[in-house]
Amino acid sequence: MTDVRRQELALGGILLAEILLFAAIAPNFATPQNAAEIVRLGVESGLLAIALTPVVITGGIDLSSGALLGLAAVTWGALWRDAGWSPEAAAGGALTVGAAGGALNGWLIARWNLSPLIVTLGSLSLFRGLAEGLTGGVDNYTGLPARFLWLGQGFLGGVIPAQAPWLAVIALAYWLLLHRSVRGRTYFAIGNNAAASRFAGVPVPRRLLEIYIASGVLAALAAIIYVAHLGQAKADAGTGYELIAVTAVVLGGTAITGGRGTIAGTIIGLATMVVLQNGLRLAALPAELAGVLTGALLILAIGAPRVRALLANAPPQSGETGDDMRNSQLAVLCGVILASAALIAGSNWWLVRSVERGHGATSATTTPAAAAHVSVAMMPKAKGDPYFISCRQGAEDAARETGVDLIWDGPTELDPAKQNEVVEAWITRGVNVVAVSVENQAAMSTVLRKARGRGIKVLTWDADAEPDARDFLINQATPQGIGETLTDEAARLLGGSGDFAIVTASLSAANQNQWIAVIKARLAEKYPTLHLVAIRPSDGDRDRAFAETQTILKVYPKVRLIMGIAAPAVPGAAEAVRQSGRKDVVVTGLSLPNMCKPYVHDGTIGSVVLWNTRDLGYLTVRAAAALAGGTLSRGQSSFPAGRLGTLAVSGDQVLLGKPFVFTKANIDQFDF
Amino acid sequence: MRLSAGAWSRERPAALALAALLAVLSVAAPAFFSAGNLRDLVMASAAVQIVALGMTVVILTGEVDVSVGASFGLCAVLFGLLAQAGMPVPLAAVGAIFCGGLIGLVNGLLVGGLGLPSIVVTLALLAIVRDGQRWATEGAWVRDLPAGFQWFGLGQAGGETLVIAATALLVALLAWMLRSLPAGRAIYAVGSDAESARLAGLPPRLVVGSAFVTCGLLTGLAAVLNAIRFAEVPGALGAGLELKTIAAVIVGGTVITGGRGSVAGTVIGVALLGAIGTGLTFLGVSAYWEHALQGAIILAALLSDRALSRGRSAVA
Repeated sequence: MTDVRRQELALGGILLAEILLFAAIAPNFATPQNAAEIVRLGVESGLLAIALTPVVITGGIDLSSGALLGLAAVTWGALWRDAGWSPEAAAGGALTVGAAGGALNGWLIARWNLSPLIVTLGSLSLFRGLAEGLTGGVDNYTGLPARFLWLGQGFLGGVIPAQAPWLAVIALAYWLLLHRSVRGRTYFAIGNNAAASRFAGVPVPRRLLEIYIASGVLAALAAIIYVAHLGQAKADAGTGYELIAVTAVVLGGTAITGGRGTIAGTIIGLATMVVLQNGLRLAALPAELAGVLTGALLILAIGAPRVRALLANAPPQSGETGDDMRNSQLAVLCGVILASAALIAGSNWWLVRSVERGHGATSATTTPAAAAHVSVAMMPKAKGDPYFISCRQGAEDAARETGVDLIWDGPTELDPAKQNEVVEAWITRGVNVVAVSVENQAAMSTVLRKARGRGIKVLTWDADAEPDARDFLINQATPQGIGETLTDEAARLLGGSGDFAIVTASLSAANQNQWIAVIKARLAEKYPTLHLVAIRPSDGDRDRAFAETQTILKVYPKVRLIMGIAAPAVPGAAEAVRQSGRKDVVVTGLSLPNMCKPYVHDGTIGSVVLWNTRDLGYLTVRAAAALAGGTLSRGQSSFPAGRLGTLAVSGDQVLLGKPFVFTKANIDQFDF
Repeated sequence: MRLSAGAWSRERPAALALAALLAVLSVAAPAFFSAGNLRDLVMASAAVQIVALGMTVVILTGEVDVSVGASFGLCAVLFGLLAQAGMPVPLAAVGAIFCGGLIGLVNGLLVGGLGLPSIVVTLALLAIVRDGQRWATEGAWVRDLPAGFQWFGLGQAGGETLVIAATALLVALLAWMLRSLPAGRAIYAVGSDAESARLAGLPPRLVVGSAFVTCGLLTGLAAVLNAIRFAEVPGALGAGLELKTIAAVIVGGTVITGGRGSVAGTVIGVALLGAIGTGLTFLGVSAYWEHALQGAIILAALLSDRALSRGRSAVA
């Protein structure tokens, strides 16, 4: 136990250091509101991590908990909205599904003695797949009753987040179970030696079954809190949470091989990760740092005791003896030192880079925001998406011209929960304007209203929130306009009739599903001889789009047109068509001109539909600066947008213009 | 060991599942077996197959490597950047493979050298490599590559032959090494029982370390062979590759705790998972149910195998 205790202390020290550091450099980090926000961020993944701790102590693992969270969330939504159950009854249904999912894992692992890693890997796919199948990927349950939302968004006594007591009660219960009960000792015994435990009279299969069921039930409880927190239930809820939970558990000193670990350690481990993320956000440092630092911390946490043992010249567990050991240990030590030196050098390089960038366009990290400048915080749906990368270039141009401090941050991949976290951090930090490309309307609107309540000006761009949650929408094109233009292009390229297929982003992507709905309506209304025969997902991955297109071409030989509606899907589909040698098939869709140029020139891509993304970013920051300076208000009919000239304002929307169709004739005039 | 009683018993469930799937396809969708589709299937599976070979070696030693997806993405982008900077394409490929080997070396030093649990080490490397790359490149694509990049300048037919030949050669080479070379047998020995292997004079830590380096090098090679199929390199590749390859290896009958399994099983596992994905489309299954069916097929294969082997002998 001493090793665990030591690791808890060391990790507690790191946590304290984090808190002191961020209190010094991150505006408004050390405030009660932010403390409440940090607790709120940790509840869902915390429940999964607590449930995972005894699983890992028995030498098992549960990778399916995030997927089970998603399945329980959509079950809740379906029971509540479609079956008309009350929120409480639906919650009971979701918990039952959680217990059933956990029981499936437990049964396969305990009864059939299958490896937990493989079983939960398989059930991860099964649970996520069931959630996608049941909702068709499309259904998003929103519009939840206020008393239910309170569970995830309200406060007890004005300061304590409403979901915090759940975490506290569960953590206490698990602590009592693991560290103060006979049953808890049997989990450790199983982890140390399952066979010996069985001979000592421990009912091993039953003990294993019960902890996997408990893990499933807690995943469902986390799902209910997640739904109330975000105000939506969708098939992709909780994606990747299992890895956060595993990291927290291991960071907290629980041995992945079983037999050793504590609940307190898990909670400190989780707090270290959540505080790190929150602090980096408030300090306007890139959130990717959190992943890099957590990874380094993980290696440090498990490596430090081993290195200490080596330094103390004690033989390692699987030890060799004699003098030759010294040589190998020395070599290992040198390797570790080299690796950590590389890590430190790397992180220094990154820090220097981010500071340099700070001098260029973004805010300096050490001065409090709003001291001298107007600060504009702008969020894409996904930072890694080439579409948003090109928006950012325009945004930075405008920031340079208008002299505002631009903070650019958001999820690396589509993630509605993370979007909320980032805006919450910006509210706490205290920026002048928030500009968001909204992934999840219901949940984001709540947070944006809160921002407006604090006197922050709010813009939405690219995708809108509810109208009363923002001051202006920077409108580049409506789903209606996009869907109709895409359909018209398909009709034009096909000569009015024929079969076509769509390669979309992920099956649950909100924007794409809106467009598909418009496309289907347009087909029914205007093009009865145009047939949409298949919709295939690409998950925003070019290689997947490539493979899916190859399959479509063979399964549906009559398809004459592929429509890609995610930026990487169009070049992926085009490459597949080109390599197939099928000259009779043409590609169109929504993408960036630069990605598609070679294919447009050789005729594989007939046309690309898009607006000027750089101008969209540029206009957003221009409007943000004007809003903060008081030169943009409702009732105006036009807005001088710098290099874009004067643009029309209609009510509470600034209009960029209609979607543009790029073809062989004009595509070379654009570079984005 | 797999050569003892019941040869091929480990590979059987995956082989039977594959045979059943192919039988259904041959009746319901004979177009699946067109030469063009089979070629595309092999091309699409080549990268997964090569990474899965590396994963087989790692899992045979009783360890696991979840950093392969992140490493795959980094190697691909590095390959593109080096080629873009004017380095001759074959040399850039060597650089990318070397990068994969380097990540494997870090894994190997920490797991083999320090004796740290591989799932934690490689999980940490996954976070560091992927988020580090995201920060450095911000997901930007590598474009404007030299003409000799796609298919190494050999044209589509030549390039496809190269990729398929290289994959087949690697499969044969690794199968032979694991079966017949002392180094290969050492991997089985260490995975079966590291302590006994050590007492028998084998260096378990060196064996484990080398397994990770091998896996890293193969991941780098897979990234290169995948990248040359296209004219540009996307900024985020390899997401989920670790789960795909681990699933293929395990479904193919290699035991996650090490010591038992074969290259043949991994080839069957990759083929099964690849055929499920495309095959379900051919059978007209909606994309929305694909994940659920994949999970159900994996669990059913595992369960039926276990149930059958219990029926056959009490020892299993």
